[in-house]
Amino acid sequence: MTARLFFQVVSMEARRRMSYRVDFWINAIAGFAAEFAIVWFLWKAMFAESGATVIAGFTFEQVLVYYVVAILVAKIVRGTEFDGQASEDIYQGGLNRYLVVPAPYFAFKYAQAVGALLPAFVQAMVFGAGWWLVSDGAGMEHITLGGVLMAIGALALANFLYFMMAYSLHCVAFWADNVWSLLVALRFVTSLLGGLMVPLALFPDGLRRPNEFLPFRNLFALPAEALLGRVAFAAWCEAMLVGVIWLGVATVAARIVWRRGNLQYSGVGI
Amino acid sequence: MSRYLVLYAYFLRFSFSKAMEFRVDFFFRVGMDALFYATHLAFFWVIYQHTPSVGGWNLDQTLVFAAGIFVADALHMTFLSNNMWLFPFLVNKGDLDYYLVRPVSTLFFVSLREFAANSFLNLLLAVAILLWALGRYPEALGAGQVTLYICLVMLGSFINYTISFLFVVPVFWLHNAAGLRDTYFGLSRFSGRPDGIYKGWVRRILTSILPFALITSFPTRALFQADGLSIAVHMLIVAAVTFGLLLFLWHRGLRSYASASS
Repeated sequence: MTARLFFQVVSMEARRRMSYRVDFWINAIAGFAAEFAIVWFLWKAMFAESGATVIAGFTFEQVLVYYVVAILVAKIVRGTEFDGQASEDIYQGGLNRYLVVPAPYFAFKYAQAVGALLPAFVQAMVFGAGWWLVSDGAGMEHITLGGVLMAIGALALANFLYFMMAYSLHCVAFWADNVWSLLVALRFVTSLLGGLMVPLALFPDGLRRPNEFLPFRNLFALPAEALLGRVAFAAWCEAMLVGVIWLGVATVAARIVWRRGNLQYSGVGI
Repeated sequence: MSRYLVLYAYFLRFSFSKAMEFRVDFFFRVGMDALFYATHLAFFWVIYQHTPSVGGWNLDQTLVFAAGIFVADALHMTFLSNNMWLFPFLVNKGDLDYYLVRPVSTLFFVSLREFAANSFLNLLLAVAILLWALGRYPEALGAGQVTLYICLVMLGSFINYTISFLFVVPVFWLHNAAGLRDTYFGLSRFSGRPDGIYKGWVRRILTSILPFALITSFPTRALFQADGLSIAVHMLIVAAVTFGLLLFLWHRGLRSYASASS
């Protein structure tokens, strides 16, 4: 697939996603407000009832900023994991039209996924700026240009890694009648081990160390920690290396599943 | 009443035979919910490594609360969730016509027609976790307290049903309930944390207008605190009001329903 075609697909998908504006903003604001309110109350209670001023290296303000960043990072990393994906094409026989066009199916799907990220980017910018104004920058003292660049790199890798993990599961649709449950299961596991439900610094050492060798930390915690200046450059490089290795593993897994599944594909859907 | 029970037995039979046709999905669902339970238990366990209590509850009490969430969620997923999901399609495609002409309550039919047999196993798993959480609780719990708790979990699940239906019933007028349904899912997360953490007007809203705190937190509170009766009365009033509102909107909605053009 040429770069020009790739970006054309990205642009088309981005415009399509932005066309339902009212629905998009109602859901975005309500979802973010609810998620953030729960975090605020939970941590307020934790600090009050433990009597601590710092928990696992976080003050109250810092942990709130961590969650704001992690929630917004998750929106960008996950994109539209359920909508318009490979499993739908397999179920409905829509894969047929991709098989006869001179562009690889995978590249086409990834271009669509990248295009579908535009609403998440807009949300991240609006809510991030909003939080910065409301909090007067509290808890954001350690944000530097280097941290921003590390976060962008980590975010790009995280998005591609999550896409590949989800794509492998979507391809199970060649055999299974419904892969929705697998994707939801992926969501649960990545939320906990990726640092979205709680910062990974809260994990006991016996859990945190092994988790550093798994792909999940790369998804949400690493971009958020890099942005907030909580990870040194050397540690960031190590984590990125782990992420790249897992990306390779996910890519190989997806190729195997795709090739075997294609042999099963009858082209009539389910 | 017996007619409804016989009808529901048919719903169950159809649902189980349908679920058995999709066996892989059946096991995927079981695995998915098992992971949901595992991640939530792990979440609370990690939190309690850094604080002795959350919302006034210690880890033992929170594990019972978490198990209550699983049971309430499994009840919703097994008996109601699919129906809530399908209802907007029935209205928009005009398929509600087929339900309206049947000699039984349409609300009963659309609320309970789809029994998720593949979630039923998870209900058993959730009940097992609840028994485990109650069994490991270090203090003695009276039979009366436990009975009241079980009744209130059922009542909380009924409140959850009325709230979730209240979020989709506007499809009669809006023609698209996707946004409201997503809002329900977003707000329902409030029920996943002990109600003791919520303060001020948010707490008042969560215990009255949007009673998500009543689904599992209030039953758990009734189990561990002395004021079980006042909690039960509070929940009964909210259940009656929300169900009354649902009936009112349901009948108004049916009057606005214009078959396939809705």
